[in-house]
Amino acid sequence: MTADAHAGALPSDSSRAQGRHVYRHGVAARTAHWTWTLAILVLVMSGLQIFNAAPYLDASDKSNPAKRVLAFDAQNTAGGPVGYTIVFGHRIVTTHLLGYTDDGMGSESLRAFPAWLTLPGPQDLADGRRWHLFFAWVLFVAWAAYLISAALRGTLRELVMRPDDFRKLWPMPLYYLRLRKEPPPHGTYNPLQKLTYNVIVFVFFPLLILTGLTLSPAVDAAVPWLTALFGGRQFARLWHFVLMVLLLGYFATHLALVLTTGFWNNMRSMITGWFVLGKHDGVGP
Amino acid sequence: MKRRLFVASSLSALGLAGCGQVKTSLTNGPFRNVLLSTEKLNDAVIGTHGLAREYKDSDVDRDFRVNGLDTPSDATYTSLAHGDFHDYRLVVDGQVDRPQKLSLAELRAAGDRTQITRHDCVEGWSAIGKWRGVPLATVIAMAQPKPAARYCVFYCFDTDESGQNYYESLDLHQAAHPQTVLALDLNDKPLDLRHGAPVRMKIPTQLGYKSAKWVRRIELVADFKPIFGGTGGYWEDQGYEWYAGI
Repeated sequence: MTADAHAGALPSDSSRAQGRHVYRHGVAARTAHWTWTLAILVLVMSGLQIFNAAPYLDASDKSNPAKRVLAFDAQNTAGGPVGYTIVFGHRIVTTHLLGYTDDGMGSESLRAFPAWLTLPGPQDLADGRRWHLFFAWVLFVAWAAYLISAALRGTLRELVMRPDDFRKLWPMPLYYLRLRKEPPPHGTYNPLQKLTYNVIVFVFFPLLILTGLTLSPAVDAAVPWLTALFGGRQFARLWHFVLMVLLLGYFATHLALVLTTGFWNNMRSMITGWFVLGKHDGVGP
Repeated sequence: MKRRLFVASSLSALGLAGCGQVKTSLTNGPFRNVLLSTEKLNDAVIGTHGLAREYKDSDVDRDFRVNGLDTPSDATYTSLAHGDFHDYRLVVDGQVDRPQKLSLAELRAAGDRTQITRHDCVEGWSAIGKWRGVPLATVIAMAQPKPAARYCVFYCFDTDESGQNYYESLDLHQAAHPQTVLALDLNDKPLDLRHGAPVRMKIPTQLGYKSAKWVRRIELVADFKPIFGGTGGYWEDQGYEWYAGI
């Protein structure tokens, strides 16, 4: 971290010098970033493998078809097998994509998510669970280690939302939509980035871990109020799935912005740590 | 144009097939031992603590979902069933001082616990049943385990297509949990054939596959490695966790 990176709470002119190289992401942040990326990839794919074993989600404690929110199914018809996605009772034909899909063994069968999306590919609940439970630990340890290290080094200040950031929030979408020429003055992360990263790190990760834990009968026995908080076991399974979908939505947005805001500069800063400041970039909190 | 499309689609097919192979070899390669190590960590961190939630009568699933291997159809089980399980005896043996052969009447006399608990299947679904029977701890105490005993193994009547018997096991700490019961009744009636008559395990602190149906013998052992596939249970031998608390 250069001396300039700690230039104060508000970015000064010197901290916004365009074209200057700054050491933006420390080893801990970069390691955390790529460990999270890998863990989330494995968790999503193995999670879909586990989901395939009971391809429906109920807003209830025990399984209850009357409270079914999402389900996948396949049926034989005169025109061949048809795959369905059933959302709140509405049937949508999704043959080959969802419901009746690639089974990873050269043909198609009743399978909510196709083999190319799951880990392992072919139907294998036992190994899907092994992957999922191991990488759940990887994500948890990487998350906790990042927070502890960032807190100790003082870099957490760059990330955590301050009251001031909420006021500067609304100009950011305008800037992205080119309705505003300049973003509001900001540090390492702009206010919208800060909010997004705060939601991911302080809301999504903990909620994903907690909803996942409540699917465990032993955790339920040890901490019964946690399951009740999410509306019961099947409801927790539904939250777990919804949080995963929202996280994928974030991932898509993140990827789009990485690609459109100086791809190589972004990638370099997340690999080597060094970032070249743009016209509007700042450093520090 | 056509050729280009063909090249593109075969490349993507190759890519997908290659990806599938990578996933399979990663799962079964040297990394597998790392994946398997999580189970001991989960057992150490989560373990078996507290009591599973108990529900009201109105929460019960009257038609409790049937899952698992088929109802046994061999001569021994069928003749026992024909005699209303009058001649059934639960054998408790192995590392014990007083081996037992308990009739259903003796089991009912030994202890009485009723619990309305949720059954969580490893597949993801849950169902609620009202179970009545004898705490396992009571039955094990009757047999007086030797100091060498560390696990109890449940041998069942049901078999798969290859003839392999269903079996399961618990350590003596899990076996001593007050909600670990040998169930004889489901929803105020003696267990029917499909639900594991005459005696099945009910272990609400672990996933459903631990709750073995059609139990005929409980053996106390120092180690389950010499038994069948050596991992302590029918599904465990096929890659599922022995610690099924998560």
